[in-house]
Amino acid sequence: MSLTRETFDFVADLVRRRSAIQLEPGKEYLVESRLLPLAREGGHSGVDAYVTSVRTGRREPDLVAVVEALTTNETSWFRDSTPFSALRTHMLPALRAERPVLDRLRVWSAACSTGQEPYSIAMTLAEILGPSTRTEIVATDLSDQVLNQAKEGRYSQLEVNRGLPAPMLVRHFRRSGADWQIAEELRRTITFQRHNLLDAPPLGPFDLVFLRNVLIYFDLATKRAILGRVHRVLRPGGFLVLGAAETTIGVDGDWERVPVARGSVYRPVHGGTAALPTPRTTATAPTFGVSRPAPTFPPATVNQGVSR
Amino acid sequence: MSIAVETDQVYAITHEVFGAMIDPEPGYLRPWEGELPAPVDPLAAWVDVHGELAGRAAVICETAAAHDLARALLRMEPGEEVTPADLVDAFGEVANVVGGNVKALLPSQGTLTLPQVAAAVPPAPAGAPVHELALDWRGHPLAVVVWLF
Amino acid sequence: MRALVIDDSRTMRRIVAHTLEELGFSTVQAGDGQEALDVLESGDQVDLACIDWNMPVMDGLTFVTQVRSRQEWRSITLMMVTTESEHGQIVRALAAGAHEYLIKPFTPDAIRDKLDLLGLLPLEEPV
Repeated sequence: MSLTRETFDFVADLVRRRSAIQLEPGKEYLVESRLLPLAREGGHSGVDAYVTSVRTGRREPDLVAVVEALTTNETSWFRDSTPFSALRTHMLPALRAERPVLDRLRVWSAACSTGQEPYSIAMTLAEILGPSTRTEIVATDLSDQVLNQAKEGRYSQLEVNRGLPAPMLVRHFRRSGADWQIAEELRRTITFQRHNLLDAPPLGPFDLVFLRNVLIYFDLATKRAILGRVHRVLRPGGFLVLGAAETTIGVDGDWERVPVARGSVYRPVHGGTAALPTPRTTATAPTFGVSRPAPTFPPATVNQGVSR
Repeated sequence: MSIAVETDQVYAITHEVFGAMIDPEPGYLRPWEGELPAPVDPLAAWVDVHGELAGRAAVICETAAAHDLARALLRMEPGEEVTPADLVDAFGEVANVVGGNVKALLPSQGTLTLPQVAAAVPPAPAGAPVHELALDWRGHPLAVVVWLF
Repeated sequence: MRALVIDDSRTMRRIVAHTLEELGFSTVQAGDGQEALDVLESGDQVDLACIDWNMPVMDGLTFVTQVRSRQEWRSITLMMVTTESEHGQIVRALAAGAHEYLIKPFTPDAIRDKLDLLGLLPLEEPV
């Protein structure tokens, strides 16, 4: 099966106008695989037939469904485990080292989709931080549909199979019919709200911002604008986490790249000189020296497995 | 006895099994419209649950459709020949995965038997099934039947 | 990396083994817990075992208990791959010494995610 040019162009144009997300030629497979379930549900023979009917019908719910199908990220729980091990081994120790008491921690999980990311953050924080740290996670997405599922905290068997460590599953979930329901204590730490990355950010400041696997969809100018807005709501000394294939380098200079384990995270700097390595000031040096001999960034470690 | 298992849940489970392991993506399994035709050359696979609350879950379709299912599970080419041993094993595994997940819906912890495959499901101790899903998989009629004993 | 795939269904063994091979593992298969113990006794060095629960001769839970009782097999990562999906069953398997638990049905991506958690994925460049 392959899509006609008309189908792809129509979908790409619709998605770009509604979400600013670019579907370059070559993403036909994505359009095909995301829309096929909708096509079958509607009893169409294939994606071309389905899109043709959406095009001629021009019904708003159909158009919304197409955009949502293309812009919703399939998410696993501890997707690319690196950011979560970095949270444990680098970012939280760094934040702790900088403040006499870490009594409050605010996190923004942007483009949170169906909630796996904010819940994974919440599970990690619950494991590491004691009850003396009040944690608040603001989780946002463009789509009401995914936010509703996220708020409900109910996941299918297939969804809990995707990268959720079994000890976390038994600790934080209970079976509910054929699905799994996440614990109320975790849900309480998260505020879900609708938000478009093209608009003003949610109320800061945040200590951590997770903005993963979403910049890749935007053009350079939009990427830069989004990073600028994130910069404004991130506390000095806070961290930005991007997707494994994403970087601030060459996009926006106001960030310092911090290598962690198998990836990188970013800290806000000012003046756009991050291309030149900033001198190791007292603000950063002791931070990464926690329980390590060398007061510099630790080298990439090969084995990022769960400890056992 | 109150129904411990709902039809929607059995449907959701079957959908997940097909979407994850048999088809490249969800969307090929849907409700059969109208009456499910009686199979001419049927093949059935089932597992039993033993325990405080016991039951049986079965998948029944035409033998030809079972061949297609086995080919899909084993990622074989269309038309490639399925050996009798592979047919029994693969089709039995579909019933096993559906049945294991149905078992988890029961309020008491039970144990699962190994899957069995035959032309017909033996008579159930408690008679009529509690659920009979009539499904359409790529145009093939397919039934998923659950009994609670 | 070498993986031992234990399932009484040859279909399931083939699916799991194929996924692992695509991720760079070499694989060896066993049809029940006893056969799997025999593979280990023969000196085959495996890094990972994927274990079905319900099998004839010796079930997966018994196999896990046996492996965990042997010092020389301490480094083997044990992952249940089973249709048993009750909360209590997962707790039992973890208590017996399983490190991870994957519920059938699963997609190949789900195996990959679990190996990522376990630190068993070969290092690769992000795409």
